[in-house]
Amino acid sequence: MSTSAAATPRSNAEPLDDATMAARITDYLRSQLDGDTDGLTLDGFVRIAVGWSHETYLFDARWPGAGPPGSLGLCVRRDPGNALLRELSDLSDQFRVLRCLEGTAVPAPKAYWYEDDPAILGAPFIVMEKVPGVCPNPWGREGRRFYEEAAARGTLPRSFTDTLAALHTLDWRAAGLDFLGVPGAGTDFARGEVAKWKAFMEGCEHPPEPIMADLIGWLEANAPSTDRLALVHGAYRTGNFLVDDDRVTALLDWELMVIGDPMYDVAYVLSELNREGSDLLSNVVERDDFYRWYEGATGLEIDEDACRYYLGLYAMRSAVFWMSASGLYASGANPDLRLGRTAFSVPVVLERAANDLGY
Amino acid sequence: MAPDELLERIAATLRADIGPAIDEPYPKTQAFMAAVVLERVARQVRTANAHEAAARAEQAALLADLGGLVPADSPVAALLADAPAPGAPTADAKTWQARLVSALWANADSLGADLFERILGRVRVTLRHQVDREVEVAR
Repeated sequence: MSTSAAATPRSNAEPLDDATMAARITDYLRSQLDGDTDGLTLDGFVRIAVGWSHETYLFDARWPGAGPPGSLGLCVRRDPGNALLRELSDLSDQFRVLRCLEGTAVPAPKAYWYEDDPAILGAPFIVMEKVPGVCPNPWGREGRRFYEEAAARGTLPRSFTDTLAALHTLDWRAAGLDFLGVPGAGTDFARGEVAKWKAFMEGCEHPPEPIMADLIGWLEANAPSTDRLALVHGAYRTGNFLVDDDRVTALLDWELMVIGDPMYDVAYVLSELNREGSDLLSNVVERDDFYRWYEGATGLEIDEDACRYYLGLYAMRSAVFWMSASGLYASGANPDLRLGRTAFSVPVVLERAANDLGY
Repeated sequence: MAPDELLERIAATLRADIGPAIDEPYPKTQAFMAAVVLERVARQVRTANAHEAAARAEQAALLADLGGLVPADSPVAALLADAPAPGAPTADAKTWQARLVSALWANADSLGADLFERILGRVRVTLRHQVDREVEVAR
């Protein structure tokens, strides 16, 4: 995910320029907010390009009103219609998750409204709290320096680990998150994830890849048993949360969340893919510190074998992700050449998988 | 000028002249991405004949070796008979190889661990060479 305000692809949703979008959001907020909202304005209205996912707008809504003036920092996420992974999670699911997380120890933006009526903003959208913080891109030079310096100061590594621990110790049933689907005992979770990504791959219409067939065969034959279920973020790494004053203030990108094996997230933290050029896990935390803090906070022992398995699953996921991305470009659904380029990422990921399989 | 050289020249122009001259972020990124894609397509064009020939030779060798490894009564024997004709395009061979690998995993128990490992190991040798060629283009 990139936080650069640079490249913004066109979408399949009703195209709205920023001025029209701001005007429509203003009208919408006036219909939703209580009291006298005459004169409501959107200050600092900006569209940020956040990867290839949902369109995101940030602003402060202010209104003079009859009584004390009102103010609310807000974030609008709109479904562009051609976002990656939209088949796996829509905005309504993400809205429900954010609602369920309200008041829990998991840092997440407060979700205000979800609308699926395209008459309002041209596509479904969520309105949520604008949380203070920045989200530097860990793949860029500036982002790497940001995390390196934050890691040296010492607070972010602990906050990174504690946030994952908060996620994994959350009473997800009490929070109402079982609507996400609860896997059965044993290997059900791992096998379910493999089946989900396999089905997604088949929908991509990418030509069959024999190494992928091998990887899937291995994953199906070696699925680990899971005896503890947690809310799993599915992409827990730097670049997928906001940081303010060296602390994680909000988890972002809930497209891949599931109820499942917490080692699924731990493996992602351990992955070399998420720390290019850094010895620190996810660019922020020493391996030993992560183990000690995570195990201490969750009471869970990190299962190395399970993590190795989930790294294989991530390889599958990565390849499918690139197949999907390049497929969006190939089909004409998304004209962004960055997606077209990802066709060349598929063999790179599969080569890594082949290495792991012992080729 | 050879097609691969032409593509590389265009990529260089996009990277050095056109991209930097564009102020708008989205088209600027597209210009640089076009350069990245064209550089890879140039490699693809340059290596296509050699890669295709290597793939065909390896597929033929794979079929010959599997003929000696796969028992006639095994559940994957029918797939061998269904292999693309020698000289078929690489894409057809890859599709068939994917079917073969899936069938091997699906029938791992009935093949037995030893035979399964030997057949899969042989297939993986071919797949290794194949992905190495693809990565040569993709990196």
